[in-house]
Amino acid sequence: MTETTNTTSPENANGQLSLSTDAARQLSTTTKTPPQMQEITSRWLLRLLPWVQCSGGVFRVNRRLTYTLGDGRITFSTTGSAVRVIPAELTELGPLRGFDDMEVLEALAERFTQREVESGEEIVTEGDPVDQLVLIAHGRVGKVGHGAYGDEQSLGVLADGDFLGEEVLTNGGQHGYSARAKTATTVLVLSRRDFEQIADQSPALREHLAGWRAAGAHARNAYGEAAIDMSSGHTGEPVLPGTFVDYEQSPREYELSVAQTVLRVHTRVSDLYNQPMSQLDQQLRLTVEALRERQEDELINNREFGLLHNADFSQRIRTRSGPPTPDDLDDLLAVVWKEPAFFLAHPQAIAAFGRECSKRGVYPQSSEVNGNRVPAWRGVPIFPCNKIPVTSTRTTSFLLMRTGQENQGVVGLHQTGIPDEYQPSLSVRFMNINEKAVISYLVSAYYSAAVLVPDALGVLEDVELGRNG
Amino acid sequence: MVFKLTESDQRPLSLGTAAARTLATTTKTPPQMREISPRWLLRVLPWVDVAGGVYRVNRRLTYAVGGGRVSFAGTGARVRVIPPSLTELPLLHGFEDGDVLDTLARLFEQREFAPGEAIVRAGRPADEILLIAHGKVTKLQEGGYGDRLVLGVLADGDHAGAESPDERGVWGFTLEAGTVVTVLALPWEEFRAVSGQSPPLRAQLERHRARLARPRNKWGEAAIRLASGHRGEPALPGTFADYDPGPREYELSVSQTVLRVHTRVADLYNDPMDQTEEQLKLTIQAVRESQERELINNREFGLLHNADPKQRIRPRTGPPGPDDLDELLCRRRKSRCFLAHPRAIAAFHRECSARGLYPDSAEIEGSRVTAWRGVPILPCDKIPISRMGTSSIIVMRTGEQDQGVVGLFQRGVPGEREPGLSVKFTGIDTRAVASYLVSAHYSAAVLVPDALGVLEDVEVART
Repeated sequence: MTETTNTTSPENANGQLSLSTDAARQLSTTTKTPPQMQEITSRWLLRLLPWVQCSGGVFRVNRRLTYTLGDGRITFSTTGSAVRVIPAELTELGPLRGFDDMEVLEALAERFTQREVESGEEIVTEGDPVDQLVLIAHGRVGKVGHGAYGDEQSLGVLADGDFLGEEVLTNGGQHGYSARAKTATTVLVLSRRDFEQIADQSPALREHLAGWRAAGAHARNAYGEAAIDMSSGHTGEPVLPGTFVDYEQSPREYELSVAQTVLRVHTRVSDLYNQPMSQLDQQLRLTVEALRERQEDELINNREFGLLHNADFSQRIRTRSGPPTPDDLDDLLAVVWKEPAFFLAHPQAIAAFGRECSKRGVYPQSSEVNGNRVPAWRGVPIFPCNKIPVTSTRTTSFLLMRTGQENQGVVGLHQTGIPDEYQPSLSVRFMNINEKAVISYLVSAYYSAAVLVPDALGVLEDVELGRNG
Repeated sequence: MVFKLTESDQRPLSLGTAAARTLATTTKTPPQMREISPRWLLRVLPWVDVAGGVYRVNRRLTYAVGGGRVSFAGTGARVRVIPPSLTELPLLHGFEDGDVLDTLARLFEQREFAPGEAIVRAGRPADEILLIAHGKVTKLQEGGYGDRLVLGVLADGDHAGAESPDERGVWGFTLEAGTVVTVLALPWEEFRAVSGQSPPLRAQLERHRARLARPRNKWGEAAIRLASGHRGEPALPGTFADYDPGPREYELSVSQTVLRVHTRVADLYNDPMDQTEEQLKLTIQAVRESQERELINNREFGLLHNADPKQRIRPRTGPPGPDDLDELLCRRRKSRCFLAHPRAIAAFHRECSARGLYPDSAEIEGSRVTAWRGVPILPCDKIPISRMGTSSIIVMRTGEQDQGVVGLFQRGVPGEREPGLSVKFTGIDTRAVASYLVSAHYSAAVLVPDALGVLEDVEVART
């Protein structure tokens, strides 16, 4: 900030009457700030996650045995306007999971035909027999059903990579809903006849499907976990079921990831220019801040353990219309309904959500967390996090999670007590001084994040920012 | 700048993490389980110790007037009433002659109405018994200044015009179809013709008339006679509060299972976690989940089945709106909480947002949940959602002092591990498998019918 003062006096012909500020400054000490940095954010995720000490460097999440229910998403390759499904991706379909005969998968992928569907057109109709497998390559499709009194109800939104009619692969049946394109949509279609032709030629495929049907017969609860048998409310003396709780045979193990850098400081600098601030400390402080920012980024975006990638497919929902409306956040709350702790969203997404609220005349209460007032929705605070990516088409995601080990939620993993620890789970080690008199320090942060139970984390995808109207 | 560490294609110079892990201890979680839910119902119910295993709810003598739901069987487009369920009609309450009921059931005539059509009109002669087989019907009245007043909504299984066998008056309300409605109608003419030939039915009507003639208050309880505001020296009425001679008794129900652990596993693999203990913990969680499911869905004492027919209402439109929750609240004092499926809560929230309302949230046991008029709405995934996408919302008053809903359990069961839950060692068989009997004893009682209300048939996915 600068201030200009006009103190020209009439007698000031050849010079000034008193000492100028320029000259005065030669005698005074400048008050200096430590080096400032734009990259620093509030890093709410790091502050809010409960951190679990992970002594052996590996964290094993034991779970009850689960017979996988959910499906993944299918990816496509595009050349010009022609879209093809990548054959190996077909194993994301529940009945084909674990099927590894590439030739058959390629033959299946060949038989898909591409269809362009206009907005508003029906792709499948409720009550019709299931006679085709439809993969959605691009576009938004609404699932619509009829309610108890004949009125329409929306049963969710499908988009890129989702599919419908996978019953074709098993036993057919009827469509329980209509699927109606909400935008211009590209779909790939495999007819039942084509599929049966290929299945007839491939004993391996038939055997795999038979095995899948048999696996479906395992007793399980609503979440796909191997059932704990019990009887209730009986009179008389029935034989009680004997039971045990089966565990997953190969539970997921999370290894601590690391963010590292080598910080170099010339000895001349660190020896001489230390008043009033230690040069080394300031260099370290900024490096550590950058490292922590990277840590938060990785916790969200890492392909192995990042929360966006680690969320179960059954816990991912799409927005109803595009922008993040109150209805979408309510839907997300119904997905993670067991003691949700907080939402995490890009600041622009929070602004978009605020706009949608205002449009409906709803003013959500804010809530207080650690002395900060943050916006909240249904009592669950919404924290900003600029690490959640915004794609080039201006879409982003909302995260909602339950935290803590005792709640079977999301936990951060770290290891305290490492050698030369500078902050919890962050070490600064002196490496050496080289021939050019440069001192090197190795700065490393160890971290990871684990989702203990899939329903602890939900993601609202395809949130559009900046939509008008 | 931070570089992302990638696996270099060089020959490793030092020990890899995979090899190092073989020496290190893995930090392990106890087994996690998706099925565990917050189990709010078990947390909010006050639990009453039932020392004798039976809990008797004594009430004032009530002249029961039926009022339950009639059930139907459909074959194609033809709908038939199931004869025994006709006893839910007040005037056939307690009637047991199956042949006469069959005859009556056959006499019903089916009619279809389109949305907006009037089924009966106020002021027209009431000469029929109407049963609503499917659809929603709005009950309307003309207000004091000529406007339409909505009295309520009737739907599947409700009936109209079957209160009294005598006075052939006129309809006091209009019934208008809200959706496509199927109605079964029985003209009084035919009913009277049947009763003319059947002495048991005539006796039943006599009993019904006698029941209606008894002095009672508006809840059907035998009246306690009082005199008030008198002048002079009238003779005061003598009275007593009569009790229900056959009060309802709740026996404790049980959820049980036998947990088996091989002694080899239990003996050897105990560090750092006790295997038997972990197996028990998860089994107990599953038993508690089953307990909550039973408390809601059991046909004997489950809250959804135990609610009084008069305390069951239907939403005005399809989804649960603020109006419906208000309607639910106005029927009891001291409502403690709502219980609803998370998707029903989302549907309610959508309705609020559509009206530009933002309900406050309330804190209950450290969690923030939405509250409507100060009554917290607690999520419970045990309330079923039908295939057609309908669910129910429960509201209740709790506690013995308030004549509310209470949970029943027994303290001090042998082998008690938690209140109401016992673990007993039952032996080791010849294959060296140790067994434990895990049982939870519980029930729930509604002390006064108006302690529990249910909003039925809410549509959770309507656009």
